[in-house]
Amino acid sequence: MLDLFIAMVREEWRVHAVLFGPAMFALLPVLVGAMAFMGAFLVPVVDQALPAGDLASIVHVLFLLLGAMVGGFGLVGNEVMNRRFGQASFVAFAARTLPLSEQRIFAAFVAKDTVYYLVLWILPVIAGVALASPFIGLSTEAVLRLLLSLTLSFLSGLAGLFLLTTVWGRSRLAFGLLLLGATAAIGALLLATGGLPPYLPLVLYRGFSWSALAQTLAALGAAFAVSLLLFSPAPTGSERRHPDRFGVLYARLGRLPFPALASKDLLDLWRSGGGVGQVLFSLLIPLVLCWFLLSLLAPVLPSHGVLLLFSVLTGVLASTMFTWLTAFDTPGAYACLPVAVGDLIRSKLGLFALLHVVPVAIVLGAAVLAGGGEVGLPALAMMLGVSAWSVSVTVYLAGLSPNVLVYDPRVLVTYLAAVGLPVVGLVVLALVNPWLGLVALALLGPAHLLVRAAVRRWEAAENTIF
Amino acid sequence: MALVVEAKGLSKRYGETVAVDSLDLEVPEGALFGLLGPNGSGKSTTIRMLTGQTRPSAGTATVLGVDTAADPVEVRRRVGIIPEQETPPSFLTAAEYLRFVAAVRGFAGVEKAADWWFDFLDFGDKRDVLCKDLSRGTRQKLMFAQAFLHSPRLALIDEPLVNFDPIVQHQVKEFLVEYVEKGNTIFLSTHILEVAEEVCTGYAVLHRGRLFATGTPDELRQTGRHLPEVFLELVRQDRGHA
Repeated sequence: MLDLFIAMVREEWRVHAVLFGPAMFALLPVLVGAMAFMGAFLVPVVDQALPAGDLASIVHVLFLLLGAMVGGFGLVGNEVMNRRFGQASFVAFAARTLPLSEQRIFAAFVAKDTVYYLVLWILPVIAGVALASPFIGLSTEAVLRLLLSLTLSFLSGLAGLFLLTTVWGRSRLAFGLLLLGATAAIGALLLATGGLPPYLPLVLYRGFSWSALAQTLAALGAAFAVSLLLFSPAPTGSERRHPDRFGVLYARLGRLPFPALASKDLLDLWRSGGGVGQVLFSLLIPLVLCWFLLSLLAPVLPSHGVLLLFSVLTGVLASTMFTWLTAFDTPGAYACLPVAVGDLIRSKLGLFALLHVVPVAIVLGAAVLAGGGEVGLPALAMMLGVSAWSVSVTVYLAGLSPNVLVYDPRVLVTYLAAVGLPVVGLVVLALVNPWLGLVALALLGPAHLLVRAAVRRWEAAENTIF
Repeated sequence: MALVVEAKGLSKRYGETVAVDSLDLEVPEGALFGLLGPNGSGKSTTIRMLTGQTRPSAGTATVLGVDTAADPVEVRRRVGIIPEQETPPSFLTAAEYLRFVAAVRGFAGVEKAADWWFDFLDFGDKRDVLCKDLSRGTRQKLMFAQAFLHSPRLALIDEPLVNFDPIVQHQVKEFLVEYVEKGNTIFLSTHILEVAEEVCTGYAVLHRGRLFATGTPDELRQTGRHLPEVFLELVRQDRGHA
């Protein structure tokens, strides 16, 4: 099992080292640490502006959110276990010839991915803060507590979403019952004690105790163990049958550019276990956490500030829907067809625009629920403008392989700068006057031009997708 | 006779590795042309360049009169292709995949053509199964069907028989011969020399990316030798010199 884990870690390293160069890939945690170091100097300023203790809560929820964003193993489990691209056969697939249960192979994969995210993202952030600690008045003891509590917070988000997606994959009814049970338990606790249950990683940060640590580790261990036990890969040799849906979709999507390609992508998304699951776990749950996070900032934000910031974050998250449409393209799927890379990009962006019915509904729903109906229009404009700009930057930088953003420091820095600067400007304007949020619509023009440039760029590049 | 494939000095380099080295090739219309060679000799790279899937590092190629580097999409529109890997999209069923290919190609007669192929290659019982759940042999049948769905004048097919059982291999070989007899052209890449000797009207041998020999089975027959024998001898000689 340990050998398998080590082989998978090596494989992950080699895959990324081949794609981006070993030095560039190794530079990623350094870059993340440097950004955290610089960001840490804002801590005293923000801490003073917020009610006591809120900054710690926000940071811990943020790490919970990060964990949740990478914890959807239950959605991708079957794909992981059958991971073969062209001539490449990955360890998770090849290990099936070894005398190991599929649960063990999958456990090794989950452990490998968890360690990778910890090493590449989480620990560098904490290291960056630790390096800045002498300048921002953070004691060594506080840094050590942060190291523990933020790691556990990240793992809590990861384990929580792993459990939810695995239950979802096993039975929609069981998933509903689990959510209902959790809501009822929290409701009962609220009624009985008047407060939410303590968030253990935060408890550990505020005052370390062995009992809180033991409880956190036990909860994490239980969540991982139950998820792994419940995980049941589709048996090899099983045949999933479906009635012909392509023809119906092709007719309905006739107004999109390249309706055949869009129909294929929609079927990929739906049948891969995505569809409702993707919307729920990649958009709704992270956005609920974002709302909670932003609501902590409400006292220092102007009226409707939470809604407007939420719309911007929804725009950024909505732009990641583009990855849903590229995740299941296999090299060679288009090799024998008269399709150019530009056609693929335009087709996926057409479908991406159609999928915006979901984030539009989320922003409008949030506006109504938060009593911000009067600024619903600028909120919507901000979401759409930010999403369009973010996806155009993504397509320009990464083409049809948007996951590159997460691993290539050069691409990541360029993306953060290209998206971050206009977004910050937009937020400032909207906080001054919500109606200035309409300026976001001005991003649609440059986004369109950038997509055209992206098409030229990726048409000229050697086709990697073929 | 008109040439349907013409390559001049066609080369492909991957860093220091030369996959195909200054290949000159001419394939006349109506030929069943075999591109032969051991594993790693550059056959698949040649097909990938001829079908615009990858750009040549040097040299030019025209397929049905179209420059493959200048207009790769037009080349793929005009020909049928079976790529090296049988990778139809995972989450479409076999029937949906053929509909998808027909829709992309703007081919109207998919219902009738698909039924014919399901029947001919005997996999109609798999039409509603997701491509990812099909066996390799059935995926290969599907790839074969998509390549000929629109009855192209020229088909470039890479190791098309490798996953088929002997019965299907026999059927497919007969199909290829009949297809060429109708005036179409087949560009077949294979390392199964017996197949090439049996069905091809002309062949070229690639070894280490270089064109090693060309000829026809008729010329071979006159020498009283068989293609596998000649091929092994040539390759061994070359390895001895290397």
